Amino acid sequence: MRTLDTSPVRLSPLYKERIDRLHTDKLKMNDIKMKVFDHLNFDDWGFVYFPDFKFTPEPNGPDGLVYGYRAIGKNFRRYLCEIPQYIHPASALGGAWIGQLTDFCRIGLPPEDDIDPETRACWAKYHTYPGFGGMNHCAGDINIGLSLGWGGILKKLRYYRELNAPADPAFYDGEEDLVLGIQTWVKGIADHARALAAGSASDEERANLLDIADMNDWLVENPPRTFREACQFLAHFQSVDRMYYVGGALDQLDEKLRPYYERDTEAGILTDEMAVWCIASLFFNDTHYSQIAGLTPDGSRDMTSRMSFIVLDAMHAIRIPVNIAVRVSDKLNETLLRRSLEYTIADGTGVDYSCNIGIEQGYMRNGYPEGLARQRIKVGCNWCCVCGHEYPLQDVTRANMGFALYWALQDIRKEPDKSTERLFELFKKHTQIIVDSIKRGYDRHYEVMGKDRPEIVYNLLMYGPVERGLNCSEGGVDILNFNIDGVALATVADSFAAIEQRIEREHRLTWEELFEALDANYEGYEPVRLMLKNINRFGSPDSLAEPWALRIRDFFVYACKHEGTPKHHLMIIPGLFSHGAIGEYGSRLPATPNGRKNYEPISHSNEPDPGFANGLNTFSPTLKASAVAIAQPGFGNSAPLHLDIDSEMLDKEGGIEALMALIHTHNHQGGTLINLNCLTKETLLEAHEDPSTHPDLLVRVTGYSAFFASLSKDYRQQIVDRFLSRESQS
Amino acid sequence: MPSGQIFNIQRFSVHDGPGARTTVFFKGCNLRCLWCHNPESFSPKPDLEFNPQKCIGCGTCFRVCPQNAHTLDASGRHTIDRTQCQHCLVCADQCYAGALKAVGQTVDTDYVMKQILSDKDYYDRSGGGATFSGGECMLQLEFLESLLLSCREASVSTAVDTAGNVPFESFERILPLTDLFLFDVKAADPVRHKELTGVSNERILSNLHRLRDAGARIIIRSPLIPSRNGDQIEGIARILRDIRPELVELLPFHKLGSSKYAALDLPDPCLDEAIPDKDTVDRVLQILRSAGLNARKS
Repeated sequence: MRTLDTSPVRLSPLYKERIDRLHTDKLKMNDIKMKVFDHLNFDDWGFVYFPDFKFTPEPNGPDGLVYGYRAIGKNFRRYLCEIPQYIHPASALGGAWIGQLTDFCRIGLPPEDDIDPETRACWAKYHTYPGFGGMNHCAGDINIGLSLGWGGILKKLRYYRELNAPADPAFYDGEEDLVLGIQTWVKGIADHARALAAGSASDEERANLLDIADMNDWLVENPPRTFREACQFLAHFQSVDRMYYVGGALDQLDEKLRPYYERDTEAGILTDEMAVWCIASLFFNDTHYSQIAGLTPDGSRDMTSRMSFIVLDAMHAIRIPVNIAVRVSDKLNETLLRRSLEYTIADGTGVDYSCNIGIEQGYMRNGYPEGLARQRIKVGCNWCCVCGHEYPLQDVTRANMGFALYWALQDIRKEPDKSTERLFELFKKHTQIIVDSIKRGYDRHYEVMGKDRPEIVYNLLMYGPVERGLNCSEGGVDILNFNIDGVALATVADSFAAIEQRIEREHRLTWEELFEALDANYEGYEPVRLMLKNINRFGSPDSLAEPWALRIRDFFVYACKHEGTPKHHLMIIPGLFSHGAIGEYGSRLPATPNGRKNYEPISHSNEPDPGFANGLNTFSPTLKASAVAIAQPGFGNSAPLHLDIDSEMLDKEGGIEALMALIHTHNHQGGTLINLNCLTKETLLEAHEDPSTHPDLLVRVTGYSAFFASLSKDYRQQIVDRFLSRESQS
Repeated sequence: MPSGQIFNIQRFSVHDGPGARTTVFFKGCNLRCLWCHNPESFSPKPDLEFNPQKCIGCGTCFRVCPQNAHTLDASGRHTIDRTQCQHCLVCADQCYAGALKAVGQTVDTDYVMKQILSDKDYYDRSGGGATFSGGECMLQLEFLESLLLSCREASVSTAVDTAGNVPFESFERILPLTDLFLFDVKAADPVRHKELTGVSNERILSNLHRLRDAGARIIIRSPLIPSRNGDQIEGIARILRDIRPELVELLPFHKLGSSKYAALDLPDPCLDEAIPDKDTVDRVLQILRSAGLNARKS
């Protein structure tokens, strides 16, 4: 067995200069985008902005609506044929996406396929994000694409069209149109590269562009043969994927590229620095999510290879938003973990850490075998998927438990006998109403999405949809899971604890005084607000809020899990994830008994609120990590731990080892995902005050990384609050 | 069960001994180092901190104080007459804004052990443990002894962070229970030591030698405040050359304690002190290393 080469890749001036140009131009492109869009709260997404491009769709429904395989396939093909081409001359790869098809084309559901009005009214009452109609958040197996190429995929479609001879061949019509569009677009990349080469004054640049032209010519019909061609194919895929509902899943990057890397290096046609350049170019193309490392399906070894180190080196070299997760396990290569942390400390942020124990053992609790659970890898913002085999629809619902509490409070104020126990019963009732309404929506989703708004891109890279002629959401793939994410856990738990402590235990406040203060949005009741806020909140040792958080978590999980959807009995997997949009989720929620005022943000995922540490116990990463670990939803969907650590704290011998211990311990405590930033207070505050002072400051917002300067003020404030909460003790 | 007065529990501390640690800060100290960044540790009793920027002007403290210690001065500024305050801390209990805060709490061994053991997994993976600091943790010897014993029973590695100004009999009691001493050496000359800390260093250095002779594992921690003890570094190096500790950690002055002096209405003796720059720190480290010491910046 060969010894694994873990050394950092040394870049020669040629490749360093190329990657530096990509970095610099990404900043320039981002600056232009900020001038136009003001902010981008998700991540960079890698798109190249062409302000003058226009596309006129051909609708097949009322009011410009486009729906169904045929109409979507036809319009998508036209779109691919019309979009302008882009190639960065320093990149190893050609092509870019310039915006979503849906920016120009209203793809949706015809009115007759909508959910019933009563359910819609329920969603409005509870400010529910129902997940009905949710797109992407599933993942293909990129091996299907790498082994077949676009031409092979087309042949496969035609083979199964003939074999299945469906009464309505709309599936094959739509998918075929998409692939034909992709092929035209790929040919366009080749032609554009050749045209750029003809006009280039630089021999080196011309040679690169001609290589890109040759690669893309080949890839129109054929599968990739080399490492660089494989990367080019992935750039095609991730560009097309983004164009359709900003899909973002890219599979196990190190392991899927490893055979190409080993073959090419053995043949002497690829060096490590060329590989770093290709991966950096792939990152320049887009911020798709992928995983490196992790256990093999049989659990016998960690998959870390030389490719894993090359992926890290590419991320470190280009220093732009990149979404790579390292899968943590006891067998994880410790040098890879250490290197990833060194790069995070150097760059401010880097990879995130997907925890195998919480993810895999949790997924097994749904009835899946361990070998399958190990293959459920992190390919989304917070979420994991068995790539190519599972439709795991995650991160598209928000069951806002803050509203369940709000309506429970409205109920209890009419009752003569008030107690936290009674309030909890009412809270459970409203939580169940929210969860049931989402389940009804998922039944409808299952019925109509295939025919109205199919996963036309992912279907191509999954096992089953093409073979069966079915969308992945309706039996195209074997594994169907529907996620429901609860939000506002700490907001609600702290509210219950504040009532218990101040009203029931200490008698410092009455229920009537509480309602008066809430009704007034605490205006004129600031001492009451602070009395309620400054309890030992969730996350503090000895907090009354922790038992409440666990009861709330347990009931929410039960409400989701004790039965599937009412009509089709679809499997539900509960989660506790809020993405970064806690401002939006709080924007309609009136004041809550935890001292939160009207319409202020709610708490994040299952995390304690910033500033939770109190009294004797100063904030520490482990205090927060323990709270996040103990309140996991427990069925394999991630509830992330966000750690914003002062890099000065780590600037001593043993700092990295302490972080490594923290990551492994969180894994063993049942945590599922760690998002890490290493910043200094000064840098963060300067960048918050004037983002232009630090245009290249990278941060991990939640499961995704972004330029700090690209975020809206509200999102920037979240990061600052998280960071400064270490200092806030009240 | 032994109990003691502490003012802070800091988890995931990477500055108080090897690995990730939980540091328990004891209240009460018999030194008064001019640069101390934990002035709340001076008194063995609870203190009242006041942070006026958090005050919402509700007036509760004026109403509840039995000593009428809360007053408004001529300019309408909320002040505390510290000579009247009996440290009953009723005002802090009623101050929901957190402007008035009680610092220090009596806790028993079980309580502290529960906090320490919460992070045991982190210690085991990082080679860390629990550090007892202060203030001067050795002034609450029974409590310290009880915690050290409990840690040993729970297989938690321990460190005692001390300024060393206690009878050596105190060290003898905890020596068998302690894995590591973080021992402060602040100045070499006894007169200068007294000027800077309020006490001479003769007993401290004697204890240090006797600890060394007893085979204790010792890391030396030396603060660096150039205008105060900058002239003591060569002398410290000479002392330590004889001790041969496994490590000397240099603690450059910082200003994180300034706001605490203000909150306690105490004068900050190092208010205008400059933070030593990297060159200064490197130069001092070089002096220590030239004496054959394994020295680094903390």
